[in-house]
This record gives sequence, structure tokens and C-alpha cells, in this order.
Amino acid sequence: MNWKREMQLLETRRQFFGRGAKGLSVAALASLMGGKAEAATGGQPGIPHFAAKAKRVIWLHQSGGPSQLDLFDYKPQLKKFHGSELPGSIRMGQRITGMTSGQASFPCASSMFKFEQAGKAGMWMSELIPHHKKIADDICLVKSVHTDAINHDPAITFIQSGSQQPGRPSIGSWVSYGLGSETEELPAFVVLLSQQNSVNADQPLFSRLWGAGFLPSRYQGVRLRSGKDPVLYLADPAGIARDGRREMLDALQALNKIREDAYHDPEIDTRIQQYEMAYKMQASVPELTDLSKEPASTFELYGEDARKPGTYAANCLLARRLVERGVRFVQLYHKGWDQHNNLPRDLALQCKASDQGAAALVQDLKQRGMLDDTLVVWGGEFGRTVYCQGKLTETDYGRDHHPRNFCMWMAGGGVKRGFQMGETDDYSYNIVNDPVHIHDIQATLLHCLGVDHKRLTYKFQGRWFRLTDVHGNVVRPLLA
Amino acid sequence: MLPRQFLAFLVAGLPVAFAADTKGVDFTRDIRPILSDNCFACHGPDEGHRMAGIRLDTKEGAMAALTPGKPEASRVYLRMAHADPKRRMPPPSTGRTLTPHQIELVQKWIASGAEWKTHWAYDKPQRKEPPAPKNAKWARNAIDRFVLARLEQENLAPASEADRATLLRRLSLDLVGLPPTPAEIDAFVKDKSPNAYEKQVDRLLASPHYGEKMAMPWLDLARYADTHGFHIDSHRDMWPWRDWVIRAFNANMPFDRFTVDQLAGDLLPNATIDQKIASGFNRNHMINYEGGAIPDEYLVEYVADRAETTSTVWMAMTMGCARCHDHKYDPIKQKDYYRMFAFFNGVKEKGLDGRDGNADPFLRLPSGEQQKRLDELTARIKIREAELADEKIKPLQEAWEQERLRTLNFAPPANLREGLLAQYEMDGTVDDHSGNYRHGRVLRGEPSMVLTSVGKATLFSTPSQVSLGALDLGQDYSIAVWLVQGHHEPQTILHQTGRLEVWWDASDPLPHLRRGAHLHVEAPGMHLRTRDRLVQTEQYHVAILHSQAGGLSIRINGLAVPVVREDESSVKPGTPGELTIGQETDTETRNGFRGRMADLRLYRRVLSENELRYLSVDHRVSAMVSVAVKQRPKELTQRLREHYLAHVAPAPTQEAWTDLKQLRAQKAILDDAIPNTMVMSELDKPRDTFVLGRGDYRNHGEKVTPNVPAVLPPLPNNEKIDRLALARWLVDPNHPLTARVAVNRYWQNYFGIGLVKSSENFGTQGDPPSHPELLDWLATEFQRTNWDVKAMQRLIVTSATYRQSSKATPELVERDPENRLLARMSRFRLPAELVRDNALAVSGLLNAKVGGQSTYPYQPAGIWEEISRGEIFSAQVYKESTGADLYRRGMYWFWKRTAPPASLSTFDAPDREKCVARRSVTNTPLQALVLMNDPTYIEAARVLAQKTIHEAGADPARRIALAFRKVTGRQPDAKEAAILQTLVAKQMTRYTADTKAAAALLTVGEYPADKKIPAAELAAWTNVATVLLNMDEAITKE
Repeated sequence: MNWKREMQLLETRRQFFGRGAKGLSVAALASLMGGKAEAATGGQPGIPHFAAKAKRVIWLHQSGGPSQLDLFDYKPQLKKFHGSELPGSIRMGQRITGMTSGQASFPCASSMFKFEQAGKAGMWMSELIPHHKKIADDICLVKSVHTDAINHDPAITFIQSGSQQPGRPSIGSWVSYGLGSETEELPAFVVLLSQQNSVNADQPLFSRLWGAGFLPSRYQGVRLRSGKDPVLYLADPAGIARDGRREMLDALQALNKIREDAYHDPEIDTRIQQYEMAYKMQASVPELTDLSKEPASTFELYGEDARKPGTYAANCLLARRLVERGVRFVQLYHKGWDQHNNLPRDLALQCKASDQGAAALVQDLKQRGMLDDTLVVWGGEFGRTVYCQGKLTETDYGRDHHPRNFCMWMAGGGVKRGFQMGETDDYSYNIVNDPVHIHDIQATLLHCLGVDHKRLTYKFQGRWFRLTDVHGNVVRPLLA
Repeated sequence: MLPRQFLAFLVAGLPVAFAADTKGVDFTRDIRPILSDNCFACHGPDEGHRMAGIRLDTKEGAMAALTPGKPEASRVYLRMAHADPKRRMPPPSTGRTLTPHQIELVQKWIASGAEWKTHWAYDKPQRKEPPAPKNAKWARNAIDRFVLARLEQENLAPASEADRATLLRRLSLDLVGLPPTPAEIDAFVKDKSPNAYEKQVDRLLASPHYGEKMAMPWLDLARYADTHGFHIDSHRDMWPWRDWVIRAFNANMPFDRFTVDQLAGDLLPNATIDQKIASGFNRNHMINYEGGAIPDEYLVEYVADRAETTSTVWMAMTMGCARCHDHKYDPIKQKDYYRMFAFFNGVKEKGLDGRDGNADPFLRLPSGEQQKRLDELTARIKIREAELADEKIKPLQEAWEQERLRTLNFAPPANLREGLLAQYEMDGTVDDHSGNYRHGRVLRGEPSMVLTSVGKATLFSTPSQVSLGALDLGQDYSIAVWLVQGHHEPQTILHQTGRLEVWWDASDPLPHLRRGAHLHVEAPGMHLRTRDRLVQTEQYHVAILHSQAGGLSIRINGLAVPVVREDESSVKPGTPGELTIGQETDTETRNGFRGRMADLRLYRRVLSENELRYLSVDHRVSAMVSVAVKQRPKELTQRLREHYLAHVAPAPTQEAWTDLKQLRAQKAILDDAIPNTMVMSELDKPRDTFVLGRGDYRNHGEKVTPNVPAVLPPLPNNEKIDRLALARWLVDPNHPLTARVAVNRYWQNYFGIGLVKSSENFGTQGDPPSHPELLDWLATEFQRTNWDVKAMQRLIVTSATYRQSSKATPELVERDPENRLLARMSRFRLPAELVRDNALAVSGLLNAKVGGQSTYPYQPAGIWEEISRGEIFSAQVYKESTGADLYRRGMYWFWKRTAPPASLSTFDAPDREKCVARRSVTNTPLQALVLMNDPTYIEAARVLAQKTIHEAGADPARRIALAFRKVTGRQPDAKEAAILQTLVAKQMTRYTADTKAAAALLTVGEYPADKKIPAAELAAWTNVATVLLNMDEAITKE
């Protein structure tokens, strides 16, 4: 009988944002677990497995697949091959998407953009991301990430849940399940969707990306939206003032208490607590999203865009405010990186909207001393092909999806600073050194949080599932 | 070894009911779960990964690794209890550890002889005579004898029967998913006949809402949704299948037929329409058409989903675990998986499909009336098509083309340049070609060149603005341009302060995956818009004519079109400012220009009909005719043919063409109105099925044919091996799983947890049954009654076990928190849909219509739009319903998989991407926010308040009593009434002082507020009703 697990579930069933359990042998349980009243944070007993470097994560997902060739993976030799056919020895018969598989030729397109080296490690960065150059000494750039999927839906699902097919919990829900929350007034796992600001509007997202899969649904990400109701149904309806609401709540709680005394159902007590927490959230969330008290220097750092709710820059700033308040996992999305055509123009727009915000977030966390225990992750679900999709002209090209190598960076708690690893061939088509798989990224992220990815498990349909499925290795070289 | 004291504490402190005392170790209950969970992954059925040649999932294997009676001579025990952590099993790398208690159990088990049993779920259910408990008269039926016998073993007594109000509310929520009315409760309370309760059961089982309630969990299992799920996630229509499920439950279709029709209805001899609809069960999986996706990959995913869902729903087997390798815990080979897969691998489907609604194969379901009309239109279209057959028209058209070419004259009408202020050819630039050098200046955006059917055009792909300078068009003017609307948002085409505003409004979906917007033209004191929407992405010639005498008119493709005169014009007369294309910034109402323009001409005079014809038609036709036949793209050929038929051909032919176009349009509208639903249908020759290495579609291994897992009874010899054979095999009386799995889920519906808690997994990693003999008895009873579904529900709800009160003592809650022993009735929160249905029902708002299309209840704006792709696809923009559709039951809420109904998700409704047998039941602050602030509940509270005020009269105490009763089914006690009395008094004071606030609260929701009740009073009572609807009891089945 798996009674120990059973008890843990019972216990965690009593809380949502990390509230302690009440009643129900918790004392007995706590003493079994080694005497520590773990319940206060609501994670799983025994987790973290070892000392954590990072306490929280901000994942900046660049949805669509940013072109590594035009941002970080500098290939000066490629100028020579511009317009010439991608050699078979490089392509090696790898599968390509249905969008270009019918193309008669695969001409190489070298990047149109100028590259410069930045930071002590001499990271190459293109002119599209000038602000990134300021954080070159803070980030850990991996140029050899690879994935299994070749199209958006499976690829995003893969990077966010460890499986290409739907049904698994998202990385944020795994983390909040394992580690619980550090705040009682906000959800442990918050999702921010940035408004579209590029011409490329064809990037849908799916609630499964922040869903709890087979984990209990309280671990799903909570969408924080711009506007009057940052959390769904947060605002009282028109005509109900705060003290009027309080009056109603007091009556409600008194009625629920009467029922609890008669039925002794612990769910009633939990409900009473949850209503109080909801009441608190109604104050704490608007305070969180109100940027009016941020000093002018904040907007110098993040850019004026950050004043406009829902922009990527505003969301980067919100992400900082969220982690300041104890949120465990912030999942931010920026759509519009899918440059199949018109890449030079559209990628420039996309970078303009996101470069400063991402760089500002790292700098801001650093100046607040929070970068030491916050892990920031930047990247898309795959990279883009060296060969041109559509017509290659002097000033224009497009690139298809490329799962075989792309760039991601991490910054902060647990990873090296000003460090780069991984190498691709002259075409940025194959990895030459230090391949890092998506499951490795996930394992490494968990490791920074003090979690052994092999031991963060949940039993569903008889199997102990984990984020990294049966794969994944911690990428030791990039650990600080 | 551990100190004895500690162990004793462990066991005593255990709140779960199934802790074994170490005296009587039961292999099924205590030992196999330990071995399975901790050992099988390396020492189990998967030959590929078996370590050290030891296997512990079979008797032979286990006995080779232990010595019965001698734990200290048994390798299994010694390695588990090893002092050296490096040698101790399971190894740390597995992440699993055994507790001292578990090791103790294994030791005791070996010491007592290591009794071995095969896994209970694979043996046929054994029907045992129900036991004879001591308190025999408590038992109302066989269920109670099993339950009570167990309670007596545990020295527990059942709870007393619930009071009648609670009982009827429970029964109604369970059987129809709706609460009883106070009148129904009164009738039941007054009914003194001995079978009063049974009469209620029969009444509810006969209700059409019974079918709805039974269908709800089935929709989770069947992963029913209204969208395809992958990527763009546009709509599909499977509600005819949902209607079938409701009908089947209401007609009490036996479970064996219910099974066969859904798994293989299409394969039955002379299958009826209903049987074909039923087969849609296995088309409810997600479907993809992401551009660039690889069809073969998704074909495999669809078939895998069917095989796995079918295994979960009917056998609670975790078949999916054997997709990549042999099952780690259960005796299922990888080959078994692909044999099961092969049953579903013959469907006439495509790997990528579903762009335009349902994916192949689907069944159209016209009503009698629609079919008649369809036949008629089809016949008439056929006749017209024959008249306009290519062989008849071609010679005529060729003759005309020759003539046209001979007389081809690109020369424009003589005075076409007269009054020409500027002419922008739009060849990627915004240069003026009139000779007046009024070149445009790009202020925003990056125009580029693009080829269209009228030649070169300028493409504005981002919101743009171009200044054409301070042009004075005068009082009589014409603007002519080829125009393509490039985005669905409203946008400015031309703007000139004091003069003119030309714009598109937001485009809306049109049939056949198109969108379209109205063209608006505003001048001082005048605002016209086209009556019909012009199709986005299509190229139109637009001319705007203005004369002092005749006012404003719009020509589309040279012709006058119906227009609507709007009341107000935003253009105030004044000195004309700069004329611009587009605008500087994007506002909430209007954006910069996006789309294509060609040949923009500005005239200081009104163009003649002849000139307009030249610009919009002749110019184009000449261009078309001059392309050699062989070089003409298909689109051009078609356009030319249409032009010929519409404008050139002999009058009768022109008439025939006009008629054909109309008939086709009518048929298109009819086609859209005819519902269709996806079904199963076999290819003539099924696809070959291979074992796929690591489950990858590219990795073909051994070829396999359909068959069932070897651990289960074989298929009969004499039948064709197809889905129909599989379906019949599932409901064969010898099948060990189907009946158990079905009755266990029924049990779960009533008691919150099944007799087997893991209702989705009866394998070795699942939970052992709490009452194995009861489970078997119910399974055999289900078969014995010929799978009578209603009889099974009746049996459960008429048991004394079910009729118990759900009140518990703290001691009992501590001892049996999940109520597995059933010494009381379970008390748990309603499922998401019922939380909402209940509020609608008690307020009187509920629209009780059964079946039909899905609807769009209140939902905060943007939930879909923030994540969806937008543009032309369906189900990207949430359009709230109005009127009665707002108040339909939650099960009819349009289920978009990538953004499921928000308030239902908050109450644990699944996203329906995959089969779900069991929902979690959480208790969160977000739920509190929904019930307090969602307009659905505010409106329900107000309507509940106003109806209560009417029915109860002026006395606050009577109002409270009635509203309380509507919500909970019972009278409030004195304390409860006093709390509410105080609340209403306080709220009255507030709203009397602030009538504005009262008025604001009453505007929430579409249902009109009762004006006869003073606003302050209604607002105060609305909040009292909100408190009632938020009570734990209100959303809980007690």
C-alpha cells in the first residue's frame, strides 16, 4: 500500500498556494517526514533534494523559433555560400517540414546583419539585439540546443512539458507541485502572454502549455492578464464596495462554520480559508500590476514600452515584480518569431520589441541582488534553417523550422555567467560540440532549483512520470 | 531492523483504511503493489530491460528469488533490507525507496509462506453470495450486505439515513444533475408510502435530464470537444454524437449495445444512421492541420489515441505504456500494443485535415426538409451546368476572344486624363505617374511590390501611412483604385480632414473560411457603407464619386452596389487637410492601412459610366485576353470564362449563368446549415500496421495484424478480426474487465471514489479494490441483467449505503478521510458543470433544453483571442450568446481545447485533449473569485433575489427561508437565519445611502432587473443571494 504518498496527497489537497494543512494527522505526518513542518510551503516532502541555487524561475519563451543564425550563432564563412545549394553532406537527408519539403532547391542564406563580440567571453551578437550586449557577462549562452519536434505544436508542447504529445504537466506546474509556493497571496505559477507587436500573427498558444496535465489542477498556471481583471474574476462587480464585500464574506464564513461544526468535513474549513485568500488577492494583485509607483529609472531601463500593459517589456517588468513577491515560476510568452519569409524586416521588428525588456530584466534582477537566486531562461521551441524558404534575394529571405540546433540562454541562480558553450558547423545546421537536448535543459533547470529530475515524479496510470520522461542529463559544464 | 515501537506508531497513525496489520498479510492488497511499484520496472514484464535475469511479476520468477517461509534465505528480502545503501534494492537511481513498514510486510509475507496470486483484474469476476452481516435488517440490498460486513469487521456502524430534503437533493443532483424544487421536496416529505423513495428514483430515471447527467462523465472519457485541439484549434461539429449519447442513456440502451455501436457502429450489417453517428466516439480525438506538419506522424497519433482511449474506457488498461517498449508493470507486450493499434488503423482519414470544420470521414445529417431542398437544388444546378458545359461555351468564347484580340485597343477613352489630379500606378512605390509629380511620401510602413491579377500593385504589409500632400479634390471628384483588404482589423484607407474618410470596418467570418468587411465612405453630412461585406484578400475595383448635385456614390467593379446610409458622419466640413493613405497610429477604432493598392486615380470631376467600365473591366479583360491560352493560370481562365458568361455571351446564356450562380449560392448556404458529424469508416484495404521502434512513426519493425492482448481471453475463432469483433469481445461475459470497469465508474459518480480508486488503471500499479467481492458481485449483476444501465443506477441509489447521512464525527474523518469504508455517505463538491447548472436552476434562469449545438455563455473578453491565431479560421473569436442560449447547461458550453471554458476549468473541468476517467477535486481561491464575481453568478443571485421577493412577500424572514430553501433544499436554522437577517439589514443601509451603487449592481447580466422592486432593496437581496450561492453547502452534494 502506498500509504505515504497517499498521505502526502491528502495533505497537499488542503492547500493551493502553499497554505498549511489543518487537522488530519499533519503533526504525525510531519514527524514522519523528519520533524520539519514542510507543509508551510506546500511542496513535496524531501524536496528540494539538495541545496538549491535558484529559488524561482522566469522563463521567457520566444514562441515561433528565433533565428539563431541572425542573432547569436555567427557564421562569417557563410557569406561565401550565400545563394549556393546546401550540400547534401550537411543536410544528410534529415527530415524537413511540409512547408519546404517541396522546394526545388535549398539555397543557403547568410545573415544580413552585422555581428559584434560582447562581454569577456566574446559572445557574438547581431546588431538586432544591442541591449543583449550589456548582459553578455551575466548570461550563459548555449548554442547547441536541439529538439525532437519540427513543427510548432509538438515543439512548444515538448519544451514546456517534456513530451511532444499533449497530456503531460507543464514545467511550471511540475515546479510548483515539487516546490510549492513562497507566497500566500499569489499563485505559485503565473503565466504572462505578451501582445502581438509584429506582423507575424500566426502563432497560436494553447492552455496546455501551462496546464497541469495529470497533476491535480491546482498546479496549473494562472494567467495574469492586462486590464481590469489581471486574474480572472478578480474585481468585485460594479456596486459592491470593499467593506460591503467584507460584510458578505463575514456572513458567508459564519454560515460555513456552522456547517463545518455539524459535518466535520475538512473541505469546509479549507473553503473558508480560500475565501479569505481570495479576498487578500483582490488587494495584492492590483498592487502587483500597478506600475505607477515604479520610478522613472525603471522605465529608462525597460523602455517606454513597459508603460503599456501587455507589451513584452511590461511583462518583463511584471515578471520581476512577481518574483519579488515570492512567485515560484513565471512563464512569459512572446509570439511572432516564425519568420518563414520577410525575415530581415520581421525579425528586426520582433527584436525591437523584445531585446530591451529581456536585457533589462536581467540587469534589474542583478541590481536588486535577486539574480543570485533567480533563474532566467530565454529561448524558443526550435531554430531556423540556413537554407532559404521562398525566394532568396539581395535583401530578403525566409527560414523554415530547424530542430537540429538553436540557441538559448540562461542567467542567474546556479549557472555560469559570461559563459558560452556548444558549437555548430559552418552552416549552423548540425551540432559539432556539446549537444544539449531539451530534456537536458529541463533537467538542468530543475537541478538549479535543488531538484533531481529523476526524483520529481507523479504516479499516473500506474507509471511514475517525470518532466524529462526517461531522458535528460544535467548539463554540468554550465553550472556555476 | 526498526524499533518495534516506531512500527507500531506507523500503523496506528495511518488514517487510510487499508493499512494491513502485519499479522494477516494479503498478497493482492499488500505485496503485489510493493513489488510492482518498486521492482517491476527492472524485474518485470519488459524483457528488454530485465536486470540480472530476475523477474518478480510471475510466480516462477518470484519463487526463484525467494524461499517460502525463510525471509533470511530469500534474496528478495535480503536485498530490500540490506544495510549497505549501495546494495539495497531498489537502487537510488530509480528514485524509489521502501519504507520500513513495506520491508516488514515483505518479510512477514515470505515468513508466512509467500502465497502467490495472479493479478485479480485478469481473472473473471467471481460472484459470491453476499455475506450475512449481524445487523441484517439495515441492509436494503446486496450492496449493503457487502458494505456492512466490512464495517462490522472494522467495528464501525453505518450512519443513519439522511433526512428527506438532503436525500432528494442528493438523488436529484446524482441522477439528473439538477437540484429539486421546494415543491418536489414537499411532495417527497409528505409522501408516507413505503416506496416513496423508490418513486422518486423512478421519476428521476425517467427524466430527459438523466441522459445528460450520465453523458457528462462520458464526454470526459470520450475526450469530446468542439475544436480540433492542435495548433490553430478551429471548430468541429461533434454535437450530433453528443446528442446520440444523451439519447442512448435516456432510452436505457444496454451497455453492450452502447459499446458496440460506439466502437463499431459503422461495421454493423445495415448500420443505421444512429449507429454510424455513435461510431464517432473514436473520432473525438485531436486532429491537426498545422502547416508543415507531417501527415504520417499524425496518422499514427490518431490511431494511438483510439487504441489507448478504448483500452482505458473499457478495460482500465494503460495500453499507452507499451507503445515504446514492453509494459513495465503489466503483462502487455509492445507487440500487443500494435495489435490493438491495428484495429483502428483502417479509417478513411488523412493525416492533416480539419481546416474547414469536420475531417474526413464525416456524415451529413440533413433534416427531411433540407434533403428535399438539397435534391431540388442539385437537380437544377445539374441542368444549368449542362447548358453551360465547356464544350458548348468554349467555341463561342474563343470566337469572342479572337474578335476582341483583333480589335484590342488599350487606348483609354479619349478624355481619360482630363481632370486627372494624380495617378499612382502602385508598382511597389507611391509615385505619381500623372505627370503632376505629386509623389506620395511613406510616413509609416514599408511598401513593396506584388503581382496581382491586374498587374503590379503596392503591398502594405504593416499598418501604414502615406501622405499624398494637400490635394484639393474640389466639389466634384472621383477616386478610383484597385483594392485588397489585408487585415481583419478596422483600418483607414484614405483620410482627408474636412473632406473624406474611406475605411474598412472589422471583418467578420463569411461562409467557407472567408472573412469580409464593409467599405465605409464618409463625406461632410454623408456616410455610406456597402450593404454586403467585401471579401478580405479579394481584389476589387472601388470608385467613389462625389458631385455637388448628386452627392456621394460607391461603385464596386464598375457597378453600383446596394449601400446603407448611416446616420452620422465623422467628417466635419472644413478646409481640406493633407490626403493620406492609412493613418499615423493605431487606435482602438482604426488602424493604419494594410493590404494592396493598384492604379489609384484622383480626378477633379465625376467619371462617366464608360470610363468606369474601362478602369474596372475593359482594362482588366484586355489584359486577360492578351495572355496566350496556354500560359493562362487556372484562376485567369476561370475569371475570363466568368466575364464572358456574365457580360458577353448571348442573353439566354447570360441568364443561365446568373441563375446558376444564384443556385450555387443557395446550395452553399444550405450546405452550411446541414449539420455533419465525424464517423468511423473503413478503407477498402486497411493500412499495414508495424511495431514502431520507440513509438516513432518512422521506425517500422515487424508487421502485425489486429488482435487482443495475450493476457486476456482470445477472440473467437470463427469471426472476422476487425473492430466489430473487438467490440463484441469486450462485452463477452468471459471478459474479466469490461463490467468491473463500468460499474466501478458508476460507483465513482455517486461516492466520489470508485471501489477501485484508480478507475483508469486496473493493472498491477492501480489501487486494489476496497471491496473486491462487492465489485465482482456488481460486475456479474450488470452482466446478469443484460447490461441494464438504469437498473444498475437504481440498485446503487436504492441501497442503504447510499441513503446514509454524510455527517461524520471528527474521529471517523480522521480514520477514513476518503470514506473508503462507507460508514457514511461521501460529501464532495459538485463537478464544474453542475456548480453552474445548480446556480442557474435555483435562480430560475436555466434553459432546460436538451441537446443541440454548443453555446457561448458569459466569459471575460479576450480569453480566446489572446492565444488564438485569429484571421480567417473558425473558433478564434469568442462571440457571447444572447438570450436563452446564455442559460443552457454547462455541458453544452462550446469546448475549445486550447482555451476551455474558463470558469469550468477553475472547477477542475479537463481540457479534453485526452481521455479522462477521474477529475481532480480542488478547493482554491480562484473558485471563490468565480462564484463571487463571475456575471453568471451575480445575475443568478439577482434573479434568485427578485423571484424570491415576489414569491415570499415583504417579510424578510420568509424571504430568507425561501431563498435558503431554493439553494440548499432545507430550512435555515435560527442561527443561520439570524446571520442573514443581519446581513440584509446592513446591506440595505449601504444601498439606501448609495443608490448609484445599487443601480450599478443591478446592471450585471442580460436578464432584466425587476423595476418594481426598489433598487436598494433588490441590490441588498442580490448580495444575500450571492452569499447563499457561495455557501459550501450550495456547491456540495451532501
